[in-house]
Amino acid sequence: MSSNVSGNAYALTILSPIKNSYTHEEIAYADVVRECLQGWNMEKNSPMALVPNTYLCRYFVLDDVVNQSLPGAGALDTLSDLLPLVPDWLRRRALPAQDRLQSRYLVFASTFHGDLDTYLRGMWEAIGARIKEVWKYCYGFEQVDSADTFIAYMKRCQLQSALFFVGSNDDALDSQLKALYLKQEFAKFAIDNQGRDATTIRQHMQAFLQRVDPTNLTAPTWPAGKYRLTDEAAS
Amino acid sequence: MTKQLDLLDIQGNVIRAYGRFGYPMARYVFFNIKKSDVGREFISKITEKVTTSVEWGNGVGEIRKPDWTVNVAFTYQGLKELELPTSSLIGFSAEFVAGMKQRKDILGDDGPSAPEHWDKIWQRNRDQREFDVHVFIALNATGPNFLEQAYDWLCGLEKEFSEGVKILSGNSREDDPPMDYQDVKVVIEHGVPTAKEHFGYTDAIGDPVFEGMPAGSQRVNGRGKQMNDGSWAPLATGEFLLGHFDEANEYPPAPEPRLLARNGTYMVYRKLHENVATFDAYLEDHGQKYPGGKELLAAKFVGRWRDNGAPLTAAPDAASKRIFDAKLAAADEQGRDDLLSDFTYDHDMSGAKCPFSAHIRRINPRASLQMVHHDGDTPGSMKVNPDAFDTCGALSNRRRLLRRGLPYGDVKDRSRDDGNHGIIIMMINADIGRQFEFVQQQWVNYGNDFKAGNDKDVILGNHSTDPECPSKAVIQVDPDSDAAPYFLSKIPRLVVTRGGDYFFVPSLTALRMIADGVIDPT
Repeated sequence: MSSNVSGNAYALTILSPIKNSYTHEEIAYADVVRECLQGWNMEKNSPMALVPNTYLCRYFVLDDVVNQSLPGAGALDTLSDLLPLVPDWLRRRALPAQDRLQSRYLVFASTFHGDLDTYLRGMWEAIGARIKEVWKYCYGFEQVDSADTFIAYMKRCQLQSALFFVGSNDDALDSQLKALYLKQEFAKFAIDNQGRDATTIRQHMQAFLQRVDPTNLTAPTWPAGKYRLTDEAAS
Repeated sequence: MTKQLDLLDIQGNVIRAYGRFGYPMARYVFFNIKKSDVGREFISKITEKVTTSVEWGNGVGEIRKPDWTVNVAFTYQGLKELELPTSSLIGFSAEFVAGMKQRKDILGDDGPSAPEHWDKIWQRNRDQREFDVHVFIALNATGPNFLEQAYDWLCGLEKEFSEGVKILSGNSREDDPPMDYQDVKVVIEHGVPTAKEHFGYTDAIGDPVFEGMPAGSQRVNGRGKQMNDGSWAPLATGEFLLGHFDEANEYPPAPEPRLLARNGTYMVYRKLHENVATFDAYLEDHGQKYPGGKELLAAKFVGRWRDNGAPLTAAPDAASKRIFDAKLAAADEQGRDDLLSDFTYDHDMSGAKCPFSAHIRRINPRASLQMVHHDGDTPGSMKVNPDAFDTCGALSNRRRLLRRGLPYGDVKDRSRDDGNHGIIIMMINADIGRQFEFVQQQWVNYGNDFKAGNDKDVILGNHSTDPECPSKAVIQVDPDSDAAPYFLSKIPRLVVTRGGDYFFVPSLTALRMIADGVIDPT
């Protein structure tokens, strides 16, 4: 499925059908899923920040397809324009039925670095419990109990991402975060050392390089994903 | 055919920056309407005196230049109080309805610029019904006596209609004295009136020129829109006046009926306090370190030299400045105007002359946003990307603002930030969201479009007050030279918002209809 890939970036689109049922409190499963996802927004950080190599992802509940306008009756429409003899009931009968979904869907779209199996395995290992929280309301998810079954399930729900845009370069996420960290730290270094003589700058540069450790992708660096600048969760 | 505007229908402050037309002082007075019908009678009386955009002359049949001018505008609540029909009210833009206070997050009015620190009149506005600002009246005058005359006239009307309207006080942060009006006047330097503000820069040289503006053709170079062949053309009228085609060849969104909107526009009133002591200290501190010296650094903040407004693109250093000054001294009036306004950034795409965070480049980037850096180009260099858009000004032609207003107060002690001094800026545009708010949010308080990260406009930016993440800006150098870029670190908040709101400036026709209560969108 090469259409899901651009360089080293992968665009994943998942549509999982939500069971047409409800809880003891008489709330539809699809509404529970939505509420659960809205709750993620209020946490200190998104659970998805823990999933390795996620560039950008989005969850939503698809209630039904959106109709842009009434469907046309094709050639018969033109014919009825040209030849008003075609009776309106005949034209209407030729209109295609409006599309409807058979259930409501949990949609998960993610662009990430690397291949699909590795990503989904990483996702299961990082936040398996959080995944179950949401996906347990979907058809067939009861068969998922491991990384392998999760990967198989997700692939069954996968749609081809034919057209997508990656607003990111091709590097792994940890390289990108380190690059951002280095860029910001270097700007601070330049400001702090502006106007100093070459010897001093060289000395400071050495200390700077030791401190920022450019080849070490694990530390010091920026953490992945950040909802808000302060450490406090939204109240 | 050249576009003809109905100048008798357009309020004078839309076409003219009065300061440049021999009116060095003004009072801005704000009214609350207590009773709708009396309010309309009051507006009717005001309308008789409203100054239009008509060209003045002393010949037979010509309208003489007045000694003082009157212009009027309304907030959304004001129009509601004047009982415009709901079906007209719902046609006004969402930003106008919300008002400046509510738009603080978009505008970056945070920290010391947050509404809780605004002048009393603006703090109370849109908070308590009886203190809502409904009507704005501007009185500009050629001299102090005429200004008093104008104000006496207005106070007389307030008295006559006191049952229905009242002047709102509180054009200051304290209620004592009550400050019934906002006083503004040009800054006097060595006894001579100037077009400068309190930091010493000349203001509004690059004010836009649009189609139909009287004498627009003489002033269009550098003020209209930059064309692909290097010439300049006036901007579409609809960028600044409702009911006319804009740069997208569309009528800007406007309320119904057409007569209510046509030849009217929106005005952003903003009171900006200037922290002169902080500015002087910051300039002094960095001026000592900056290789080009203090005055060049001051010019780099804005993009123009402080003494005569010479643009950095034409006079990027002391040597070229001397040549520029000689040319300026030798030029006639038209020549002087061209020297100051007729420039582009085509030969300064990397910001070596006028930095990306300089005020005039941020407010009006001309054609400089169609820039690109290709792999293999000199690091830090940018060049014109001629294939990006149909016209080279595509990214800036729809973000232009007419700038009106004058400085207020006197700086009595330059070693202190407090005191009563700053500028009242009134920006006129057809679409507050697309023009003023966009420029404020994306270009003044953010640098991404200029490939400058989150660096802000050096002068106007809402610089960080958090010592953990201080503001910075970069003064670029020629990428082919050995010079190092200069970093402006820990930029303090130089300008602080003290209040303001969004106003609708109706045409004379609309004013008369509002006063008569005959606005009918059906």
